[in-house]
Amino acid sequence: MQPLLHIKNLSKSFGNESILTNVNLHLKHNEVLSVIGTSGSGKTTLLKIIAGLEQQTTGELWLNENEISNQPAQNRNIVYLYQEALLFPHLNVFENIAFGLRLKKQPSIDIKTKVEKMLTYLELEKHKNKMPHQLSGGQKQRVSFGRAMVVEPKILLLDEPFGALDSHTRTKMQVLFKGLVGKLNISALFVTHDIKEAIIMGNTIGKIEKGNWQQYQNKQAFYDDETSGVKNEIAFWKDIIT
Amino acid sequence: MKQSSLYKILFLVIVVLPVASGLVYALLFSLGIIGVLKQGFNVDAWQVVLFNKPFWSSIGYSLYIALVSVGMSLSIALSIALSWQKQLQKGFLSNAIYLPLCFPATVMAFFGFHLLSKSGLLSRMSFNLGLSQDINSFPLLIKDSLGMGIIFTSILLITPFFIILFASLYQNEKIPSFVNLAKTFGATNRQILRKVIIPILLKRSATTIYLFIIFVMGSYEVPLLLGRQNPQMISVAVLQKIQRFNLYDMPQGYAMSLLYVLLILLILVVLYLNNNRLFNHQNQ
Repeated sequence: MQPLLHIKNLSKSFGNESILTNVNLHLKHNEVLSVIGTSGSGKTTLLKIIAGLEQQTTGELWLNENEISNQPAQNRNIVYLYQEALLFPHLNVFENIAFGLRLKKQPSIDIKTKVEKMLTYLELEKHKNKMPHQLSGGQKQRVSFGRAMVVEPKILLLDEPFGALDSHTRTKMQVLFKGLVGKLNISALFVTHDIKEAIIMGNTIGKIEKGNWQQYQNKQAFYDDETSGVKNEIAFWKDIIT
Repeated sequence: MKQSSLYKILFLVIVVLPVASGLVYALLFSLGIIGVLKQGFNVDAWQVVLFNKPFWSSIGYSLYIALVSVGMSLSIALSIALSWQKQLQKGFLSNAIYLPLCFPATVMAFFGFHLLSKSGLLSRMSFNLGLSQDINSFPLLIKDSLGMGIIFTSILLITPFFIILFASLYQNEKIPSFVNLAKTFGATNRQILRKVIIPILLKRSATTIYLFIIFVMGSYEVPLLLGRQNPQMISVAVLQKIQRFNLYDMPQGYAMSLLYVLLILLILVVLYLNNNRLFNHQNQ
């Protein structure tokens, strides 16, 4: 089956500095691909190129059967979410979620129906009239997800979305996101530097290190790779217990 | 004594006491209780001010000048701050933009006068280019009923403040990230401007904008030099009552100034109650 997203031999340099080298990546329909990597490894640059916010130096970017390298971000229907929720400060929760739908000039009644359904999914019905500053970190992140998912993007790009949350909220958000992905058939790239989160969130996993990309066939292959860090993590916990 | 208590006392002595003393003096003067020509307690001055046209026309005229000046200034400042974001962050322009702030209002008013008056620079250029036949055919831009000279000079004075404010907010409020986010949602450049950039900048600068409207409403030097006798902006009208011609007008001058202060305070309280978050946000 044709992958939803297929990146071929993609490289990116800023001046003489090489950020991404010969990346070959594929993402299937309704699949979440966890992207793991350290700070400065090129994860964010990769997501921005896919979203159309940066232009690759060389390589091809195929979405379904279309080469999209020259398509502006506005026409790709790929939503990029930052680590920060970035809720529009002048809009309340309802209007933040409705933002993308209003841009597309959908009928008001459709917008209301879709947004209220999303508010229910997110368990935010009681907060729909609140302004962003009245929400907790986890609630903001949920609104941010809702705003992205309600427009039914072809791909959702999440750049360490839970990085700023405490561990309890982070776990709750992981469960919520997994549930939403299942319900709404989302295809996503999920960037994280947390190995456990990568395993929980992704159907498949890829690793980026100093601009070099490696995509694993399955989670077993990720485990088996000595450089993935999984075995070190397990050994760490075993040492503590014994 | 605790340091915070000391600051409170200093604040009261340096800021609150002089203003409060001035207001009490003005109140007593307007009621005929003190002053050179005091006539004992009466509300004559207040009746004249409240129920005659000049005070309200001055307030209306001041509000008109302030709204037009700030409105135009905001449009110009937004255009410049958004078009020249990078230049305003570093380089020559990032320093040069502070230069107009050095000019006092009086200097700017004289500049406005020499530029816009019938015998001014623009008129001469217009005559030399054959656009006007003589001095009288050049339009009246100074001491005109629409207050164009005042508006022009006010715009010159306040636009640099707004440019600096918007350039700074653009970075601090993470507008570039919001712009990228909106792009991935499919927003056109026009939609990004209308639905993202302008609303965020205006929301974050709302308190400053309100204060600048009040500042322009109460300006004195510019309307004194470039405005006409009727209608007058409120500060000029008040000062004329207090300092000129008829000593019996002085209580009216003080009543006008007090009423103006009360109106402004009332507006500020209403704005504060409706936009509590806006006022607090500026301190966060």
